[in-house]
Formats: sequence, structure tokens, C-alpha cells
Amino acid sequence: MIRRNVPYSLYDVNILSATDDELMCISSEMGLSLSLEEMRMIVAHFKKKGRNPTDIELQSLGQAWSEHCCYKSSKLTLKEFIFSIDNPNVLSRGDAGVMVFDDDYGYALRIESHNHPSAIEPYGGAATGIGGILRDVVCMGAQPIGLVDPLCFGYINTCKKIPKGIKHPHYLVNGVVSGIRDYGNCVGIPTISGGFFFDDRYNGNCLVNVGCLGIVKREELLSNYASGPGDVMILLGGLTGRDGIHGVTFASTNLTSTSDKDSKGAVPFGDPIVKEPTIHACLEANQKSLITGMKDLGGGGLSCVIGEMAFGVGGCGADVNLDKVPLKENNLTPWEIWISESQERMMITCRPENVQKVLEIFDMWDVNATPIAKTTDTAHIRIFWKGELIFDMNSEFLTSGPVYNRPHIKPKISTKIDEKFPHVKITNDTIKTLLSDINIASKEWAIRQYDHEVRASTVIHPMVGKINHTGPGDASVLMPVPGRYKGLAVAVGCNPWFTEENPYNGGKACVDEACRNIIAVGAKPDALTDCLNFGNPENPERFGEFREAVRGLGEICNDLQLPIPSGNVSLYNETPGGEHILPTPMILICGLIDDIRKAVTADIKNEGNKLFIIGKTKDEMGASLFFRKFGGEKGDVPDVDSKNLKRLMDKMLKTFDKSLIRSCHDCSDGGLIIAIAEMCISGQIGAKIDLSEIGDLCIERKLFSESNTRWIAEVEEKDVEAFKKIMDSDAIYIGKTGGDKLTVKDTDINLTVDEMRSTWNDPIWNLMGGNAE
Amino acid sequence: MKNEDVKVCVLRIEGTSCEDDMYQAFKMVGASPEKVHLKQLIGQTSSSLKRNIEDYDILAFPGGFSAGDYVRGGAIFAARIKSTIGPQIKKFVESEKPVIGVCNGFQTLVELSLLPALNETMSSKSTAVLYRNDSSRFECRPTFLRNDNRGKCIFTSDIPKKKILMIPSAHAEGKLLSMDPKFVDKLVENDQIVFRYVGENGENAKYPWNPNGSLSDIAGICNSIGNVLGMMPHPERVLTRFTHPDWTRGYNSEEGDGLCVFRSVMKKFL
Repeated sequence: MIRRNVPYSLYDVNILSATDDELMCISSEMGLSLSLEEMRMIVAHFKKKGRNPTDIELQSLGQAWSEHCCYKSSKLTLKEFIFSIDNPNVLSRGDAGVMVFDDDYGYALRIESHNHPSAIEPYGGAATGIGGILRDVVCMGAQPIGLVDPLCFGYINTCKKIPKGIKHPHYLVNGVVSGIRDYGNCVGIPTISGGFFFDDRYNGNCLVNVGCLGIVKREELLSNYASGPGDVMILLGGLTGRDGIHGVTFASTNLTSTSDKDSKGAVPFGDPIVKEPTIHACLEANQKSLITGMKDLGGGGLSCVIGEMAFGVGGCGADVNLDKVPLKENNLTPWEIWISESQERMMITCRPENVQKVLEIFDMWDVNATPIAKTTDTAHIRIFWKGELIFDMNSEFLTSGPVYNRPHIKPKISTKIDEKFPHVKITNDTIKTLLSDINIASKEWAIRQYDHEVRASTVIHPMVGKINHTGPGDASVLMPVPGRYKGLAVAVGCNPWFTEENPYNGGKACVDEACRNIIAVGAKPDALTDCLNFGNPENPERFGEFREAVRGLGEICNDLQLPIPSGNVSLYNETPGGEHILPTPMILICGLIDDIRKAVTADIKNEGNKLFIIGKTKDEMGASLFFRKFGGEKGDVPDVDSKNLKRLMDKMLKTFDKSLIRSCHDCSDGGLIIAIAEMCISGQIGAKIDLSEIGDLCIERKLFSESNTRWIAEVEEKDVEAFKKIMDSDAIYIGKTGGDKLTVKDTDINLTVDEMRSTWNDPIWNLMGGNAE
Repeated sequence: MKNEDVKVCVLRIEGTSCEDDMYQAFKMVGASPEKVHLKQLIGQTSSSLKRNIEDYDILAFPGGFSAGDYVRGGAIFAARIKSTIGPQIKKFVESEKPVIGVCNGFQTLVELSLLPALNETMSSKSTAVLYRNDSSRFECRPTFLRNDNRGKCIFTSDIPKKKILMIPSAHAEGKLLSMDPKFVDKLVENDQIVFRYVGENGENAKYPWNPNGSLSDIAGICNSIGNVLGMMPHPERVLTRFTHPDWTRGYNSEEGDGLCVFRSVMKKFL
């Protein structure tokens, strides 16, 4: 490195004459996380230019070519299985996807991961995750209306040894929930859905996925690009500092035992009280048609946003006055400013004649707004520091990044042939063991810390049933446009245990579960966004899991014509020693319901009503909660027949439209009996169950199989005929509601609702502290 | 006065994130609400954006986390108001124009000393506080409120006495406390208690029915004239039945329990 003779820090990095060892040394010492092959591509590029790169140019490439920014490992797989799903209702596939809501409005959806930052600093990592996903929705011109946070941790009270440098799940759960609570509540966007997944394989690497929904007038839908040469780029919001440097390169490698110390600076600080007015001001500027494009500063900071906004419009470039960027502290070097991921920042582009009007809006809200660049027709990004050119790169080379066809091994899958069925006598305790597993138990400890009602549009809440005696819901429903009864339903679908034992079936099952949740409230699945959390893609076994899961996911979405207008991939979720997470494709699904007044919840409504199971219960015990709890092994992992799913969803929607179903709940973890128990808990009403009409499976399989595409429905006597007429043999009678007990014929199961409630309600409260209901 | 002639100032600064909901509430009862930034009232904007508090008939403080609530809930918002348009706000209240503060808005009214205001409209020092919930947590949960006002408060004029309403709470600091040992007695004597938390059958509220441990289960109070109401729960979140958490279990009316608070105050302008 040769320091240039200027009154600020700038180095020319000698790569042209460097050996391979020296190239790798440069990559590692500068924190670029680039491979030798990638360093050689850069050498070749600069050889043509006849000069060495500056430090800021190399840093910029490290950002742009990171897994996080350019999807270099996952792109080919996504192209093969997911990108081909077309649907005329997709309005945009920008930073967030946007779908048709009604004739006047679109809705935005996006999910992404904030795994590595949250593993290091759970409070700040989770909070800035919320901040980032809000910006993705805002930069479509959309008002955020709901947050969704599915989280994966080790068991809260795990007895496993926690790897060196990694934090205990109890600490992580507390920190992450507090971070989501403080940021989400402060900006006034309700946290309406989510999920908790506990397994010791998340001990070394927790997952914090953050999703956001928005609503936008279709005529105000905004692009993430400039409109062409001559646009002014205005940097908005927070100041730029040293927090959040090398965030993306850190997120694109495995965690190590010293990540805690080395990478703390990679986690930026969030400030919701800068974010809240920034959202107001951005949306106001858009509503007044003053801006041409908007994009958020997330991974890679300025280095990514400027290139993408300029190049995306059709090969434009930009001239940047980097010394104009407002700073938190004034001794930052140019490269630090260029790649800092400091929070609460947005970039907008506008025509020169509108700059003043835009600045006035931001001044009103006391939000910083500084013109720092303008787009050019040169296809080059040029950076000037006090007049001197310190960076000059072709924007195509910068933004195109490498693409890899990684080797993969098809994973071994679990089957019936090797099945080891656990010998357990089915008693009340069997049911209680499942109900009290923290994957099933009440998440109220977290849910009530999140404001899930702000914006006054939450129609179906995350907890359903009698007030202060509630149970779990399936999907939440929003009424996003005041005065209109059209609703947006949102739910999460994921089963990492299925995906581990059979990634292909697991990928399909995640979508099936997501659809079931939407159907259970009476809405129609419309689109989904996915966060694909997997291990190290350079390991062919891990990459094989990724590929198979994405294949399953893509296939079922193709069959259902369910578009995926946005998504995110998070790889390298591993800890020292090669321990990797469960393969976790997290699905956030949205559904539409024309009249929310027809929506249904899972709590049993009345005594004396009939209960039906819709869909086939099969001998598919692989990866079931019953097996996991009682030592079962292998077995068939539940498959999905997408034609059957589509057919049953259509039938179910007909019965909802005629208001024939009083309560409905999907069968998932724990199987049929846990679904019924939950309906009893939230309705405070018992049920008498008789499973003889299901067929000739053994009772354990009937009770605990987690076969996909199944729901439990409560139907009033007077509606049974009409219900049966639509459902035909797809609905099987399984019993009646009533009394204060849950009993199952031909078993010893005989549990009071109160006993089930406390078994299900208390575990997480007891672990995390606080008063249970 | 026609409903649409009633001008409502929904006051906001950075972090007052519930202004859209408050705006919608007044819209639904036919008034003309406007979201006004404090800077517009204190002259820190271009002339076209300037507003005068005297031109409004109702002043509403929305919920949220004004200025981040970094000192205490509402403290920064109140300090900014006091040091700029404090006297005008006092005049507004003395002219018996209605003022409502919900959640963070209630905290702001207490910090401004517009509540409890036992003997005067606006004391120089605040005499009560909304302290951290007993659970030490943010609590987002449905709560039942009983209208315990005997007739002074203009925001409950259209609500039958002792009527129980479901109005949800969402706060971390909502426990009303005062140094004055006779605080509750004085409130009762002055008819300043407006809403109390009650249990599901109208009985005295224990946690979680009283979500914060507030003295005497108090959820909302008014000033001694009855034109300033502060309450922790959010009536503006239940304008329709369909945002109640249990509406799928059956309902009689499509109107939400919170709307009557806003309808009540509009009666003043008939």
C-alpha cells in the first residue's frame, strides 16, 4: 500500500505485481472477504486500466461482490426454480415486492435476515434489522403497515455447551425481542406476526428474520432507480459514522470464536426517532411527485446504493462529492464513508428543479438532506474528494459481481424403511409433553411486548379467543385502507425439521403451511416473500440442502401460481467447528380477503358444534414433534400434492364465503390433537373426539402425524349439510365441541381445558420471567 | 356549528407515531382534523405552513414515543411546548376548548401540568407522574374501562354512567402516581376520574386487567373544568368493531367501543 501525498487518508494498493499469497493477504487485511479467483479478476480489470486501485476502489468491490450484495452462490439456483414464476398481479420486484391490493392500491412485502449482527449484539442487531426492512418498503413509496419477525434460537434453557464466543440463547432471546419491541413500537408500525423456532442447532447461530408489509397508491409506486442522467442524488436521514463497517462482508462468512470482538463495529446503531420522521418526509416528497427514485442504504452503504441507482436505469454513472456527506465524527477516511452502513439513511433522486422543494420538506421534519451526487451518462462511478478524483470505476464491472455454479451433493433423505417408532403409551402426559414444548407453548411473553395494534387496522390479532384467555392464531389480518373492508392477511410458514430430514419435501411443506395459515382465516394466498437461511454454500452438502429446498419451494409456487416478488438469501450460518443451522427457508405469505367481516379465528366458538378434519392424515411421521420428543427416528417426511392443496383451498374458500365455518385451525407441529387442544384453549370449551372415521392408521399416527394440507373446522349443526355438500369426502367428522374437557375415544386422553391452558401458557413465561396470565 | 367546521389540531413532532389514528377518529365523527407539527405553531416554518393554535377548536395529543421519550414519557415534547407556546396553550384550556391526550399524549399533558390540575389550569410544576408499569414491561393488551365520571368530563357526555368499554392499552409507563397522599380522594371529590380499569365482569381489576398497577385502577382523568382528558388506553384504535380482538366471537353493533369518546366531545359544538 502506498499512501498518496494528499492531506487526507488515501492509499494506492499494489495488486498488479502481487503474488497469489500477497493478494489473499490484501483481501484478508482489508476485510474484503474476496477469494483468490475474485482478486485475480480484479487484477485483470486494473491491468487493462494500466494502474493500481485505490483503497476505496478495492473496498467498494469487496462490498459489491459479497454474497450478501450479489447473491453469487445462490443466483443460479434461484433463477432455475424461482424467478420464472410470473403473475400479472406483480406490480414491482424492487427492494420490496409490490402486488395488486385493489384497483387503487398495491401492497408491498419483503423479508430479510439480520442473523449475524443479532448473534453478536442481539438488541442492536434486531433493532437495525427492523430499521432496514422498513426502509425497503418505504423506498417503494409505500407506507409500512406491519412487521413480521420469525426467530430461531437454541433452547432457552439448553444444557448443551455454547461454543466459545457465542452468547447463550436466553440472553439472545431477551435481547432480540427487546430490540424489535423498542424499535418497532417507537416507529409506530405494528408487529403483527412472527414465530419462534427453538432447536439446539441454532445455539451457535441464531436467526433473526424481519419482514415488513406496506400499502401504496398504485399511482405513487416508486422505482429504486434514477430517471436518467442529470438527476440529483440526495442523501437523507442519519449521519455517517464508523458503525456498521464491513457489515456485509462479515455477514458473508461463517461466524468465528472471535467474531464477537472482531466484528462488533460491523453492527450499526439504530435510532427509531430519526427513522420515524424520515419515513414521513420521504412519503410526503413522493406524494408530491418531487422525486424520481428512492433506495435505502443498507448493506454496503453508499458504495452499493449509488452504483445500483445509477446503473439500474440503463447504464448511467454518477459523479459523487464524497466530502459533502454529513458525518458523526470528522476523521473518517474516504473508504470508510463510502462503505459505512450507519443506519437511518436513504437516498433519493430528483430532477434539479425539485431539489429545493425536497430539501424544504426534510427541513420541516428536522431530517438531514444533502445533495451529494448527480447521475451522468458515462457508465462510470467517479468519486471526488475536495476536487480530487479518488475513484473511477465502470459501474457495470462494479455491480455485476461473479456468479458461481457451486458443487452440491444431493442430501440423503429420511424414509419409512428406516423408521424407528417410539414405544410410548398415550396418556394425558404425552399431550402435555407436546403442549409444553417451547416450540408449541404460548409466545405471549413476546407478543404482548410488541405493539400489534398501532395504526388501528389490526383485524385478526396474533392471539385469538376470549380476552385474556387467548390462544394461538393462524394468520393476522389487517384492514390497511381506512373505510374499506378489504383485508390483507399475513402468516409465516416454516418447518426446519422437515427441511433437515428431507429438504425438497421441507421446502414444499413450508409453503403448504403458509397457505394453510392464510386459508384458516378465510383469505386467499396471493404472494410470498422468502428468507432462505442456510449454511456454508462452499460445502457441497450444505449447498445440496439449499438447492433441494429451493427446488421444492419453486415447484409448489409454480403449481399454485404464487409469485415471489422479493426475498433474501442468508448463507454461512455456521459456527466454529462446522456446526451448522437447520436448513431454514422462512416463508412470509400474504393473502387477500374481500370482506374482513367474513374472517374466522381458531378459537372454538360454541358448545354442541361439529368438528371436522379437512385433508388426508397419512403415515408421515418423519421429523414430527412426536418423534423429536419421544425418540422416534427417520420415517417419511410429509409430502405435498400441490393439486390437492389447490383443490382443497378452493373448496375451503367457498365454505368461508358462505360463512359455514365458525372456527378453523391448521394442523401443523404436534399434529391433529395439538391443533384441537389449541382451539379448546382459546375458546375455553372442551371437545369429545372420535378418530375412527379417519381410517385404519394406528391411533398414534392419527393423533401425531404432521401430514400437510389439513385443517380442523368447527361447523354449526344447521350448516353441516351445506358444508358437507361443498367439502364432500374431503371433510371427515371427528367429534363435537362442549364441556370443559378434551377426550379422545379409545385412548386415556382426558384433559381439562384449564390444565391444558396452564401447560401450554406457562413454559416461556417461566423461562423468561414475568407474570403469566 | 356544523361538525365539519370543528377544526381539530392533531399535534405532532418526531416520534408521535399515532397521529394518523387520532386524525381518523375525528374524521369519523365528521370534524375537520389537521396534522400539525409543533414547528408550525411556533413559527419555525415557511409562512405558508405557519398555523395559529387559536384557530382550532380542539387540541389532540396522539400516542407514540414523542422525541424518543428519552427522559420520561412526554417530557421532551412538553418542555418544547412550555418554552414556546406555553401561555397560548394555557389560554386555549382556559377558554374551555377541549383537549385530549392518549397514551403518550396523556403523559405529555401530565408533564405540561394540564393534568391533573386539581386547583388551577396549568401549574408551574407537575404534580403527578405516569410511572413504569408494575410488570416493568411494555404491555399491549385489551383492557376494559368503566366510565366512572359523574358528568364533568366533556369526552364522556355521550357515554352512559358506569358503562364498560373495551379499549386497548399499549404502553410501558402508565401507572398514575402522585406525591399527594390524598390524591385519589381529591380526584374523586372533583369528579376528575373518568375511566377505571375493571375485570371482565366489572369487578375490581387485578393484573392483567389493570395492566400497569395504576392507583385505584385509574385509566383516565380530566382536569377540574372537565375539558382536558388524558387516558392511557387508545380509543382511536377501536373505532369499528373489527379492530376489537374478539369480534369473531360475536357482536351487536359494527361500531367500536372507542368512537363514543370522540362523539361525546362533538356534542359541545351542536
